[in-house]
Amino acid sequence: MEPEKSFRACSTRVFASLIRIPSEPGGRSACHSDASKPCTAAERGLRVEADELLVLVAGGDQKAFEELYGLVSGPVFGLVRRVVRDPAQSEEVAQEVLLELWRSAPRFDPGRGSALSWILTLAHRRAVDRVRSARAAGEREQREARRAHHPAFDHVAEEVEAGLEREWVRRCLDRLTALQRQSVTLAYYDGYTYREVAERLSLPLGTVKTRMRDGLTRLRECLGGVA
Amino acid sequence: MSILDRLLRREDLHSLAAPYALDALEPAERVRFERHLAGCERCAAEVRALSEDAVRLAWSTTALAPPGLRNRVLTAVRNTPQDSAPEPAYDAPRARAPHLPPHVWGAAPPPARVRAPRMRPLFAPFATATAAAALVVAALFAVQATQTQDRLDAERAQAREIAHVLAAPDARATSDRDARGRGIGVIASASEGRAVVTLSGLDAPPSGRVHQLWQMRPNAQPRSLGLFRDDTPLVASGLSKAATSLAVTVEPDGGSVQPTGQPVVQLALQSVGFGG
Repeated sequence: MEPEKSFRACSTRVFASLIRIPSEPGGRSACHSDASKPCTAAERGLRVEADELLVLVAGGDQKAFEELYGLVSGPVFGLVRRVVRDPAQSEEVAQEVLLELWRSAPRFDPGRGSALSWILTLAHRRAVDRVRSARAAGEREQREARRAHHPAFDHVAEEVEAGLEREWVRRCLDRLTALQRQSVTLAYYDGYTYREVAERLSLPLGTVKTRMRDGLTRLRECLGGVA
Repeated sequence: MSILDRLLRREDLHSLAAPYALDALEPAERVRFERHLAGCERCAAEVRALSEDAVRLAWSTTALAPPGLRNRVLTAVRNTPQDSAPEPAYDAPRARAPHLPPHVWGAAPPPARVRAPRMRPLFAPFATATAAAALVVAALFAVQATQTQDRLDAERAQAREIAHVLAAPDARATSDRDARGRGIGVIASASEGRAVVTLSGLDAPPSGRVHQLWQMRPNAQPRSLGLFRDDTPLVASGLSKAATSLAVTVEPDGGSVQPTGQPVVQLALQSVGFGG
């Protein structure tokens, strides 16, 4: 890559950071629009880059899309594979998501949240759609039956790509109550609807909804504390 | 429907915010909830917050995308018009219409392209980079003026190394700062496997302790990239292309073989061409 291109996305910020890291705790460097909810350092770094690039992509900039691909393909593919499991299908869904990202970029509204959330929300929605239609088609029944004996949390632990972020999320999940954790992970990582979660955990629907909310809120508090 | 019924129904809908954020509603419910969201600013705000929380769960699943995917996606992108493009010149194959949550996409259909002209930099980015690099080097030499000859030689050697990283054709930079004001910045070249790393806003390590820099990568132990001395940037070499982040820990003098504590700062390397 030519230096001009490589420096483009961050030319103003970048070198200044060698002398003085930009100080804007409540500004765009914050993970959430609300600065009172911090996040891991790595997560925040990615978010800012993704926000800037997505604006360029929305204007039809293919070079910017290539850079954005470099940033988000890992998180997108990882998330899709986590939910879909099957490698070939995961690749297919990830490809759909990334292409949809290109097509729909002009619709991104930075006022409604970060680019990374927007992209991962899209990826998760597509992955869940795929896993549900596959389930409905019965393809996965056998595997599901086998998997049903293990709590969903084990899947998180058995993933191989270790990393500090993963470690933090794992620890924070560990601090939830068992029901909060199972409600959240069965839905998010395994793509079950809250009705299915209620069935699997033999809980009333209302309880599952509450556990999901409490689980997410507690996760926010815990992850916020490690930045 | 009585007011009480209506209130109960509303309450019932509100309680769907968390399952919605987790994509755990059935299609019919999803549609009903999204209709409700469009007219309820309070729920929309709540859903946004809960969705941000759910996304944190995604963060821990990052994996290396298969190598062939990049080419296929980029090729498709070159041949696919964007949604708001005025008139596609040809009929590119399209996937099903996006059906996306209104809290991220907006409940109304997207407006036709009404986009303010993008700001163009007044000068070429390369010039900016060069000027900034000159500033860095000037800062380094300013520090040197007060130091002994030995230190000076060491610093000059380091300045050369830094200049070398800066000159790499794929040199890119990124930085981050946490809520407590502790920052880390890096200029890295993936092709050279080298990086210049600076810290700021960190408390000096207690006596007998140092800040140690680590390369983090999937399926591997953290690898030491060296120890920070005072405020001097650290030039790290031998960085793996698969490295996903840098982390700094406080270690006993002389450094440790493996980190013994939690990182004080951390920085993702994806944006500078590492980690796939």
